[in-house]
Amino acid sequence: MEGARGFRAKTISRREFLRRAGTAGFGIGAAGALGSLSISCGGQQGSEGPAPKGTKVSGELTLVYLGTAEQQEAWKALFELFREDYPDVQLNAHGIPADNWSAFFDTVSTQIAGGKVPDVVQVATEGQRLFASRGLALPIDEYIERDKDYIEEYYNDIHPNLVEWNKKYSSLDGNTYYLPGEFNTMCVWYNMQLFQEVGVDEPTDDWTWDDFLSAAQEITRPGEVYGMHVPPEYFTGIMPWLLTNGASTLNDEWTESTVDTPQSVETFEFMRSLVEKKVSPSPGGTFDPFSATAQGKLAMFGGGRWPVINMRDLDFVEEMKIVAWPQSEGKGSPVGWNGYPIMKESQNTEAAWAFVKFIASKRSSEYFARQGGTIVPPRRSVAISDAFLSTAPEGSEKLYEALDYATPIPSPNEGSVIEREIIDTTTQILAGNVDTKAALGRLDRTIQSELE
Amino acid sequence: MSEHSNTEAGSPPTSSRAGSWRKRLLPPKRREKLSPLKRREAISAYAFLSVPLLLFLVFLGGPLVATLGISLLEWDLLTPPEFNGFDNYGQMLSDLTARAAIRNTFVFTFWSVVLHLGFGLLLALAVNRAMPATLRYVLRTVYFFPLIISWAAVALIWRYILDPNFGFLPYYLEKLGLALPNVLVSPDWAMPALIFVDFWRTIGFTFIILLAGLQGIPSHLYEAAKIDGAGALQRFWYITIPMLSPTLFFATVVTFIGAFQIFEPMFIITQGGPGDATRSIVMNIYETAFRSFEMGYASAQAVVVFLVIMVITLIQIGLSRYWVHYE
Repeated sequence: MEGARGFRAKTISRREFLRRAGTAGFGIGAAGALGSLSISCGGQQGSEGPAPKGTKVSGELTLVYLGTAEQQEAWKALFELFREDYPDVQLNAHGIPADNWSAFFDTVSTQIAGGKVPDVVQVATEGQRLFASRGLALPIDEYIERDKDYIEEYYNDIHPNLVEWNKKYSSLDGNTYYLPGEFNTMCVWYNMQLFQEVGVDEPTDDWTWDDFLSAAQEITRPGEVYGMHVPPEYFTGIMPWLLTNGASTLNDEWTESTVDTPQSVETFEFMRSLVEKKVSPSPGGTFDPFSATAQGKLAMFGGGRWPVINMRDLDFVEEMKIVAWPQSEGKGSPVGWNGYPIMKESQNTEAAWAFVKFIASKRSSEYFARQGGTIVPPRRSVAISDAFLSTAPEGSEKLYEALDYATPIPSPNEGSVIEREIIDTTTQILAGNVDTKAALGRLDRTIQSELE
Repeated sequence: MSEHSNTEAGSPPTSSRAGSWRKRLLPPKRREKLSPLKRREAISAYAFLSVPLLLFLVFLGGPLVATLGISLLEWDLLTPPEFNGFDNYGQMLSDLTARAAIRNTFVFTFWSVVLHLGFGLLLALAVNRAMPATLRYVLRTVYFFPLIISWAAVALIWRYILDPNFGFLPYYLEKLGLALPNVLVSPDWAMPALIFVDFWRTIGFTFIILLAGLQGIPSHLYEAAKIDGAGALQRFWYITIPMLSPTLFFATVVTFIGAFQIFEPMFIITQGGPGDATRSIVMNIYETAFRSFEMGYASAQAVVVFLVIMVITLIQIGLSRYWVHYE
């Protein structure tokens, strides 16, 4: 299944959807009040609160999720599982075959604008706070209270950090809108064969930036083989380096920019040096790390769970291994997770809640792990089980272990604009067009003015 | 206005001046009785006209009027629109991104017109020389060919060609000792690169039009000039340019309008970046409308683009009197 980090190309403005959908939400509220919207019918409306426990769930249910044509196959099979559990619910799942979240959100918000309001939407960390703050989502606290035993079992099986982060960051008004779902962290994927051929020691989980640099340089043959791919992408390319150097883009509360601290400047200079030394290809091209890896032209790239699909397609799973990101100040990784908010305007919140619980169930979690592959299941019992680890590179469990030290991807309401600025500045730094320190100073002021 | 002209129309002409303009502008008012054949002809003419007219009204006239109206609103498609007068137009003055986009569009348009007209004419002259018909046919096809490739494909082709890591252009230039910068992420080079790619794709159109114009110049004019002792340059200046001027004028207007509405290469190749270095005004309109959902502001920008194109085209038409010669 496609998930929070299931993107590769542009990670820009994934949140933009929420900003828009947020605006849309007000409209829907107004339009709904006028009775001009009629959406799926069935159960009772959201504002009335949950029905007594054990109420039979039926009616229509509409879900919007992100998935390419191939991924939709896996989803469809998953929905069959849901239909087995809830035969009276007519589930209409709309997969949007977008390349990235930005495009996905574009489509969803246009649909909402056109009056097609789904019951449940897939929303990644980047959009959760904004989504909640716009009053689009239904608070689910009463449902959690009603199905306490079920939720407790779920929370006991997922990483406590995930529960805590979800509470701290996903909404600020004290209500709960999301159960923390599948997630992605960042580790280094490396071509073990290439390391052995060149005679470089394989990395360990404690390796440092220096270890990394010397290994990468030994493998690099300028213009032919690259040691590492350093893309100007927020989650996959920038955050892991910052976090392993004790830096980040924003402070812990997501209220202030920290992009021009000495550690941050040092991080960007290090990233630039990797391009300068031709350890990494330059930005602005069409470099595809996955095919380059399979062709033996790239030794390492950063990734969460999603490259496994490409590696399976390229028949290259056996050659790959996964290891924690090299560290300078300490271990670090960004983390983002999925939520499945129920829309306030949903006419069938019971069925929507049933779906949210289904997604969190062990049965569906195991299914995701085996089939979809692009995201780490939130349940520990699944993430370190054979369902997740087989037909995946050695070290895949490190993605779950990264939850011990990961940092939620900074995602304030203004995130989409900020993210675009960060990516743009990083591209300029990596390409060597600007002075790193000066560029980060400008970026800092831009971010700060956005946040204020 | 209407009241005034109604009175005027209803009363006899008060001065010979009023009479003269009316004579010039209005057809004589006489109700002719149409013969059945003429009536049938008229009906079928209107029938033929009705389809394009309907299409025009639905797809151009209607949206144009709607855009004018929407530009005075604050509207996100969902909440009821609010009237906010000319605020959207005022917003453009302080919007740095919109200003950058307008500036970029003018830069792009200037170079596009200069390059298309200049090189289009050179190519047309070259192909118009005496040469085997087959060769001319091949050349014509070759130059025109890129135009039939969709922008998406062109964008991809050039992204590969210019790729800083394995693109063949940087590779061979480096072999020649010329280091090509990372053009698509360079604030200085991205726009020239897009101007070039656009030139490569659309030069065939200007070329074909100008070639057709050249081929329409009667050869006896050149022969007569030759006999009179005119040199090649004189023949070009005194025969080719005047005879080609209607075509040149048409090509200028069309190239200008097309260039000012440029969208695809910016949107696909550079996404308007780095920074706002390649953002065009039409791309900005799109993003304002469908990324920020500010329909009013986007419409106001569209109206400004419309006005700019109209004014500049009118100026060109006005100036054409001095240099365009219709036989």
